Amino acid sequence: MTHNLFLFASIAGTPIAVRASEIEAVVRLGDIVPIQRVPDHVRGLAALRSRVLTVIDIESRIFGHSMPLAERPLAVVSDIAAHTYGLLVETVSDICEASSGIQPIQGRIDRYWAPFASALVERDGRSHLLVSLADFVTTPSGAAKAA
Amino acid sequence: MDEILAEFIAETLETLEVLSGEVVAWEADPADSSRLDAFFRFFHTVKGSCGFLNLPRFERLAHAAEDVLAAIRRGERSADPATVTAVLAVMDRIGELARNVGDGEAPSIPEAADDALLDALTDLPAPPAKAEAAPPQTTEAAEVEPDPLGGADANPSARGRERAPRTIRLPLALIDQLMNGISDMVLARNDLSRKMRDREADPELESSFERLSANVADLRDMISKTRMQRVDRLYAAIPRMVRDLSRDLGRKVTLELDGGDVEMDREMIEMVVDPLTHIVRNSLDHGIEPPAKRIADGKPEAGLLRIVARQSGNQIVIEIADDGRGINRTALVDKAVSNGLLNAAEAASLTDDQKLQLIFHPGLSTAAEVTAVSGRGVGMDVVRANIEQIGGVIGIESVTGTGTTIIMRVPLTLTIIPGLIVRSGGHYFAMPRGNVIELLHQNSSMVTIEEVGGARIATIRGEPYSLIDIEDVLGLTRGAMRGPRTLMVVRSSIGQPYVLGVEQVESNEELVIRPASPLVTAAGVFAGMTLPDNGQPMLLLDAAGIAQSASLPLRETKRGPLAGTAGQGAQRDETVQALVFAERDGIRRLIPLAIVDRVEDVVPSQVAISNGQAFVRIEGRLFPALNAGTGVDEPVKSLRLHAGRDALCYLISDVLDIIDVPSKLDVTLNAGRVAGLVMVDTDQLEMVDPFVLFAEAARQTGEAGRTIHCLIADADDAWLSGILAPLLSQAGHQVTIGAPGEGKPDVILCSGAAIPADAGDVPVLTLSDNADTASDSTVYRYDRERIIAKIAELAARRAA
Repeated sequence: MTHNLFLFASIAGTPIAVRASEIEAVVRLGDIVPIQRVPDHVRGLAALRSRVLTVIDIESRIFGHSMPLAERPLAVVSDIAAHTYGLLVETVSDICEASSGIQPIQGRIDRYWAPFASALVERDGRSHLLVSLADFVTTPSGAAKAA
Repeated sequence: MDEILAEFIAETLETLEVLSGEVVAWEADPADSSRLDAFFRFFHTVKGSCGFLNLPRFERLAHAAEDVLAAIRRGERSADPATVTAVLAVMDRIGELARNVGDGEAPSIPEAADDALLDALTDLPAPPAKAEAAPPQTTEAAEVEPDPLGGADANPSARGRERAPRTIRLPLALIDQLMNGISDMVLARNDLSRKMRDREADPELESSFERLSANVADLRDMISKTRMQRVDRLYAAIPRMVRDLSRDLGRKVTLELDGGDVEMDREMIEMVVDPLTHIVRNSLDHGIEPPAKRIADGKPEAGLLRIVARQSGNQIVIEIADDGRGINRTALVDKAVSNGLLNAAEAASLTDDQKLQLIFHPGLSTAAEVTAVSGRGVGMDVVRANIEQIGGVIGIESVTGTGTTIIMRVPLTLTIIPGLIVRSGGHYFAMPRGNVIELLHQNSSMVTIEEVGGARIATIRGEPYSLIDIEDVLGLTRGAMRGPRTLMVVRSSIGQPYVLGVEQVESNEELVIRPASPLVTAAGVFAGMTLPDNGQPMLLLDAAGIAQSASLPLRETKRGPLAGTAGQGAQRDETVQALVFAERDGIRRLIPLAIVDRVEDVVPSQVAISNGQAFVRIEGRLFPALNAGTGVDEPVKSLRLHAGRDALCYLISDVLDIIDVPSKLDVTLNAGRVAGLVMVDTDQLEMVDPFVLFAEAARQTGEAGRTIHCLIADADDAWLSGILAPLLSQAGHQVTIGAPGEGKPDVILCSGAAIPADAGDVPVLTLSDNADTASDSTVYRYDRERIIAKIAELAARRAA
C-alpha cells in the first residue's frame, strides 16, 4: 500500500518525512531565476524540462532567514493546487515504507516547526517529523491560502 | 465500476447540455418528431444505464418522462408548454443528481421532492382529440429511409447528429501532458540546433534536422488544436436561458445562433460564458420590449436576438444583436451626472459614442427599476473588465428604437501570445505585445522627460504620460548602461496609458504562457510565466499591476468615458488617407487627406500677389496662397487646406490619387515643407508637413491677411453703405460708416463724387461707376474680385 510510503529527507539538520503521494520527483535544479517583490522563501523559477517550477526554500520558510543556495540544490517536485513547485531540501535519504506507521508527536516541538509538523514517522529507529509540502507554499501569515 | 459510473455521469451531463437547445426548438414545433426522438433516446439511455448501475432514483424519473414522451409519440398526448416544462424539470433534476453523484456528494434534493415533478408530468390535461392522427406517421418517418420529398425536412438534422465526426473522450490532463511533451521536444530541438551551430556544417545532417524541425512544429500546431473547441459549446446553454427568461419576463423572442462551428480555445470559451450570459440577459430585460409595446411600435411581436461568432485573424468576434428599444442615452447621461461622474457642461459636450460608452461605467444602469434578471448596477463594467482581462475588446452600437449590437473581440487563445522580451538590471521579462502601443528610445527627439516634485513625466509628441522605470517597480539595481534606454508606451485595462522605461527590448517571440503560482502573482506585477525557446524561465509583466503598484494616477478621471473609445481606436490598423498630387513643378507629393477641405480650379486672375505675398480670391474671400511663385499664368488647381480657424490655398498642378499610408512615416525628415518619406509601391513620396504650411500662411496673414479696417466716408452713399459694406463684412473686414471710429482705418472707400480731404496717409480707393476709368486708385464698382484684391493690396502696402 502506498499510504505508508514516505520520502525521508532533512532540512537544516532536522529529519523530516513527506508522504510519497505528495511527491512527483526529486531533482537537482539548474539555474534559478530570482523573482522580485515576493517573500524571501520564494527563491525563483527553475525549468524542469518544459515545465517551470516555483522554487520554495523550506528552510527559509520555517526559520525566516535564507541560506545561500547550494551549487545544484536538491528539490522535491510537487504539484500543489495545479501549480508545480520545487521545494528545496538539504538531503534526501530514501523513499520507503514506515512499518510502524504514523505516530503522534511526543515531546514539545519548537515554535519554528510547530506549524508544520503534524506527526512522527519512524525509520531505522529514528523519528522524522511528518510535514505536508502544501503547508510551505501558503503565505507565511496563513491568511491567504494558496488556491 | 467507478469508471463506468463516471462515464455515465459525464455522458448524461453532456447530452443534457446538447438537449437543452433542442428542447426549445421542440416546444416551438411539437410535431417535429426527430427532436422528440432525441429526448426519448436520452431518457431511455438513462433509464437503461441506471438499472445497470443501481441508481433507482434516476431510473424512476427517466421512466416517468419516457412514458410521457412515448404517449406523445403515440399521439395520446400533445406537447403543450406545460408538458414541455414538466419534461424539462425532470431533465434538470437528473442533471442535478448527476452532478451530485459526479462530485461524490449526497443528493442535494430529498427524494420525496421528485414526486411533485412526477405529478406534474402525469397530471396533465387530456390531450386534444385531434392529436391522434398526425404524430405516429411522422414518428415512422424518422425510422424509415426519408423519401426525397416529405421526410427530407426533419430527418437530415437527426441523421446529421448521428453522423457527427467520430470522437473519443480524453481526460484533459492527458492533453496537457501531451502539450508538455511537445514543449520538451521543442526545447530538445533548440538545444540540438545550438550544438549543431557549434560544429562544422554538415548539409546532410542539416537537412535531416530541418525535416525534424518541421515535424515538431507541425505537431505543436496540432496539439494546440486539441485545445480548441467549437463555439457551439458556448451556445449550448443559450436557447434554454432565452426560453426561461423570456417566459419570466413576458417577452417573445426569436433566437438566432450562427457561427457555432468556429473554434476557440477551451479556456477562452470558459472566460466568455459569463459576459455572454450577461449581455443576453440585458438584451432580453432592457432591449427587447414586451410584445404589446412592440406591436404598438409597429415591430414584429417577437423580438430578434442574434448571436454570431466568426474568426477574424487571430481574434474571435462575437456579436450579440437585438432589435429592441436601443440604449437610452439621455438616461445614461442623467445617471452619470447625478452620480457625479460628469458635470452638466461635460455631459453636454459628449459625442453620441461617448455617451454610449458610459454604459461600461461602474454603477450606471439604465434600468428604471431593478429586476431579478439585471439592472443591479453591476453589469456592463464587469463584462468589460472580464473581456479586457483576457485581452479582448468590447464595443457597442445602438440605435434608439431599432436595437443594440454588442461586439466582443477576444483573442483565439489565452496561452500563446506574442510578447516582447525586455532586459533590465540583468533580468529578463516578457511583456504582452498587445499591451505595448509604441517603443521609443529615450533620446528620441519626440520625447522630453521632466521631473516635477518627484513625479516623472515623459511627453511624447505633446502628449504627457506618467513615466516609471521597471527597476524602481521591481526593486532591481540598474545595470551599466550601454546606449539609450527604451521607453514602452503601455496600455493597461485600467485607466490611461503610461510609459515604462526598460534597459532594452531584446526580441519579439511567440510565448506559451502558463499561470504563475499564487505566491508569485501575490507580488501584483506578474501576470504569468513562460519558458521561451532558450529554456530560461521568465515572468510575464502585468501592465495593470505595475501601474497600480507604482500608484500611478490611473483612476479614470475626466477622460474616463473616452478611455474605451481610445482603446478601440488603437486596435485598428494605424493608417491615414493621403492625397497624391503633382506639384506645379511636376514632383509627386503626399498630403494628409484629413486637412484638405476642397480641391478648386483657380484661374490666373484669382491670384493676386501683393508685396511678395500671394493670395487667392475665392467666393469673395482671400486666402493666403502657397506655391504661387512669381504669379500664375495658367489655370491651376488649389487644395484648400483647413485647420480650425485657419485656411490656406496650396496651389498644385493636379490631383492624382487618394491612398492609405501608415500614420507613421517611414522616414522622418522634418526638412522644410517635407515631413518625411512614405513608401508607396515602388517609389517613396514626400509627405508635405501641414504644420509648416500653416506656419508659413500664418506669417503671411499676420502681415497682410489680417482684418482690414475699411472706412466708408460718405454715410449718405446708399450704394457704399448698403451694398459694398455687407460684402466687405462678409469677406471678414471691419467696416465703419461715416466718422472713423477708434483707430485709423486701413483703407478709405469712396465713390467718385466725394474724395475725403482728411485722408492723410490712409490710402483711398475710389469706386467708379464707369468701367473705363479704372486706375491705380480707382476701381469699377461692380468688379467685385478687383475691389477685394485692391483693398488687400492697399492695406498690405500701408502695413509695409
